Amino acid sequence: MCEVKLSDIHFSYNTNVAIDNISLTISQGDFVAVVGPNGAGKSTMLKIIAGLIKPTRGQVQIGGKDIFTAKGHGLIGYVPQNYGKNAQGFPATVKEVVALGLTLGAAAAKKNHQAANHITTHMMELVGVEQLRDRRIGELSGGQQQRVMVAMALAANPQLLLLDEPTSGIDYDASARIYELLGTLNKNLGITIVMVSHDIEKAVSWANKVACINRKLCFFGSSKEFDDTHAQARHLWYYTGQ
Amino acid sequence: MEFFQYDFIQRALLAGLITGIVCPLIGSFVVVRRQSLIGDGLGHIAFAGVTGGYMVGLYPVVGALILTIAGAVGIELVRRRHTEFADMGLAIFFYAGAAMAIIFSTMTRMPSTGLLSFLFGSIITVSLTDVITIAGAGTLVLVIVYFLFDKLMLMSLDEDIANVAGINTGMINMLFSILTALVVVVGMTIVGILLVSALMIVPVATAHLLRVGFKATMGWAVIFSMLSVFIGLTSSFYLDIAPGGTIVMTAILLYIIMTIIRQCIAFKERRKEQILSSFGDE
Repeated sequence: MCEVKLSDIHFSYNTNVAIDNISLTISQGDFVAVVGPNGAGKSTMLKIIAGLIKPTRGQVQIGGKDIFTAKGHGLIGYVPQNYGKNAQGFPATVKEVVALGLTLGAAAAKKNHQAANHITTHMMELVGVEQLRDRRIGELSGGQQQRVMVAMALAANPQLLLLDEPTSGIDYDASARIYELLGTLNKNLGITIVMVSHDIEKAVSWANKVACINRKLCFFGSSKEFDDTHAQARHLWYYTGQ
Repeated sequence: MEFFQYDFIQRALLAGLITGIVCPLIGSFVVVRRQSLIGDGLGHIAFAGVTGGYMVGLYPVVGALILTIAGAVGIELVRRRHTEFADMGLAIFFYAGAAMAIIFSTMTRMPSTGLLSFLFGSIITVSLTDVITIAGAGTLVLVIVYFLFDKLMLMSLDEDIANVAGINTGMINMLFSILTALVVVVGMTIVGILLVSALMIVPVATAHLLRVGFKATMGWAVIFSMLSVFIGLTSSFYLDIAPGGTIVMTAILLYIIMTIIRQCIAFKERRKEQILSSFGDE
């Protein structure tokens, strides 16, 4: 069970409030798109869920445990927005990067060379980068790099996948393939996905739930409700958070 | 060969080859973490340690080790606090090391030959005790890198991912900084304070030109580094020139040769593509 529960989360940088009193519960198997205007605190919220930032107030629980206790059990896969800062020129091959994912998860698979090889190959096949296995990650396109990072996160067998702007800087076709991949992982493997996205249309069409934030939580519910009931108000939420 | 019959050459070769293994091992991570100048910064701190150690009656290498480890810890702490200006902290420690070295060297009466041997290396005068110490330090570095390899590689790619996975990135970063300091002090004996960073970086840069994976790059860097030590030491013996400088110049020469080979291969590939595309047009 990998329920994500945010209780009264508040976070501020010095005197600037980035997140204000956000409480929500994400159920096992949900695919949640976190949307909102620039500077709304989307990435900060994801980092709080990932346990990278400690909230000023409130608590994050993953599967009933505090995030700082839950971290390190291979439960959470994280694909950050700026991973590419070191990826350019990084001399590791796709296979080496995906195999690193085993370091994140259960150590048993890593110790068994054959099992490690099998998992690595399977993950590369799953995200469609098997044919690139011997290419260096720094030589790949943005979309291909993103797939490799997702494969690395999946190699740890996570129950919760957190992605920060996974289609940022990627062309239309490549980003469509990333959304399709995430949709498949959510449906077929039952992985809970929380994804920050600036691409509101696509994100809402693939996710089953939407969290619209602008420092405060403006909307949290099904994407259908977000799309149908609040169609007119959507742009108002998105741009003003009111 | 006459060269190998001398005891001092055998010791020099052994110490040089061990250093040739550990320098690029640490250097491989240093380069991808964009910290290529850390060896220079720590080298200057080591020099302050040598002169400071002599001043207070400590064995200079012990003085260098203490101050370099303290410097490495300081650099790491500043890097954590100022992630966006990490190189600024390194620069401050670099200058502090150089300034302290100048002050201590004027305060102490350390013979200039002793100072020069630390600045430019003294591989030929390496004693059996030195070889044993270098072997011990080298083994420690090898063992720690072996057990932390995946974590160090992941943290070099993205520290946040490692953090979310529950890896104690703070502790590993600190340990890595201390290992770097240890390698700088070991390398200082062989190629000198001024050039120790070169042995950490240049063989890795040469290996990067091969465009192979991370482990293979590391393996090739070790091969290039050991080749540099062997060729450099041999030629310095026959040409009667400084071994430290010759070792580093050999490493740079290997880099230049590999760059030319790489350019030739790229040129040939482009020509092949042009010919194939011209056939396609027809």
